[in-house]
Amino acid sequence: MKRIFGLLAIVALSLAAKPAVAHHALQAEFDTAKRGEFTGTLTKFAMINPHVRWFFEVKKPDGTAATWEITGAGPQALRQNGMTRIFQVGQTLKVTYAPARDGSNTGRVVTFTFPDGRTVTMYHEDPNNPNDL
Amino acid sequence: MTQLNRFGIAAAAAAAMSFVSLHAAQYGGAAPARPAGQQQQQQNVPTPRTADGHPDLSGMWGGGGGGGGAVKPDEKGNLVQLTRGRPCSKQQFDLGNCAPGINFERDSGVTQRMGPEVPMYKPEFWDRVQYLDRNGTQEDPEFHCKPSGVPRMGPPAKIVQTSTELILLYGQGNTFRVIPIDGRPHDPIKSQDTTWYGDAVGKWEGDTMVIDIVGFNDESWIEWPGWFHSNNMHVIEKLTRSGNTLRWEATVEDPDVLVQPYHVEGRTLRLNPNAKATLTEDLPCEERDSQHMVTHERG
Repeated sequence: MKRIFGLLAIVALSLAAKPAVAHHALQAEFDTAKRGEFTGTLTKFAMINPHVRWFFEVKKPDGTAATWEITGAGPQALRQNGMTRIFQVGQTLKVTYAPARDGSNTGRVVTFTFPDGRTVTMYHEDPNNPNDL
Repeated sequence: MTQLNRFGIAAAAAAAMSFVSLHAAQYGGAAPARPAGQQQQQQNVPTPRTADGHPDLSGMWGGGGGGGGAVKPDEKGNLVQLTRGRPCSKQQFDLGNCAPGINFERDSGVTQRMGPEVPMYKPEFWDRVQYLDRNGTQEDPEFHCKPSGVPRMGPPAKIVQTSTELILLYGQGNTFRVIPIDGRPHDPIKSQDTTWYGDAVGKWEGDTMVIDIVGFNDESWIEWPGWFHSNNMHVIEKLTRSGNTLRWEATVEDPDVLVQPYHVEGRTLRLNPNAKATLTEDLPCEERDSQHMVTHERG
């Protein structure tokens, strides 16, 4: 039995292709177990590698504005899905995000909610899904 | 073996298996594993040849890209494209509701270090290799949007072959390399230059195209785990077409830092049968993360 599992692991791992693109270790930058939320005006949507970016202006209670930068996955998936055209500069979006560990105004997107109630969900941890454990 | 260990190995195997399909589709990289019969079928096709009798390497090679399948909004207009905690299963990927895992880099670190061969550095350089590997999120040139360089960039996604040149096209970074195959030697000036792709000349050895490359900088890495090189690196790339498959291999010689040549893990690509397939424009790379990284290791 031991040999079978060992062989399976070796075969499977040797089949694995090596990534052509070096991505950042997301958990080194964001606390994916926590959530933050704000509502802000989209000022720029950047389709860039290695991760897409949404920039927001968020009004603070004292009347001043803060700039927020939200990151997502690589741009290729969004392009393939035609998702890139649904974000328009000037839109007011509610953003749920995993906050940056360094306390900066950055985060990893979880969900965008549009003014008409539509949502775009891009990250999710489901305790019932073994892929999320 | 404990139950836990068994589960761990099985889980690692499953993760690696799903990673193959995920990665191939996401980046259009090496062809995913196919049943032996289909592989054989690809190789049994006669190898096309040019007028001068050499194999014709022209074509689109590899998976051809993907990126999560077509996600469609539900009846309320909501869109869901999840990035999960771990690499997606093939089924999830095929359904188009799963993007690369949050822990993608950490998980794939296992496979990155598991090639059939490791470059053998001179003893005095191992500390540097380990430092670079452990500080990958800051030190890896790819993380700062620099080119992958040869041989880390791997095989081309498209080849255009003429009687005097081999034009190699890569999806990542919209990169191209033009390799003279007219028998000329290395250019005396360019071969002393220090660049990411070096000065390359190609020649036929039987049915294999052998590309000899010198004149590298010392900024690129050979591969992901901190495997650096000097600017005296010499790379020999080999391309062999068998029917509708293309074998890519590379050997690295670097007597300044390595005690023996290092053979990069080769890849076999299949010809993209879609006559309308094109290379997708890659988007610019802009590094904005490293300043926020609180740890430096990746996986």
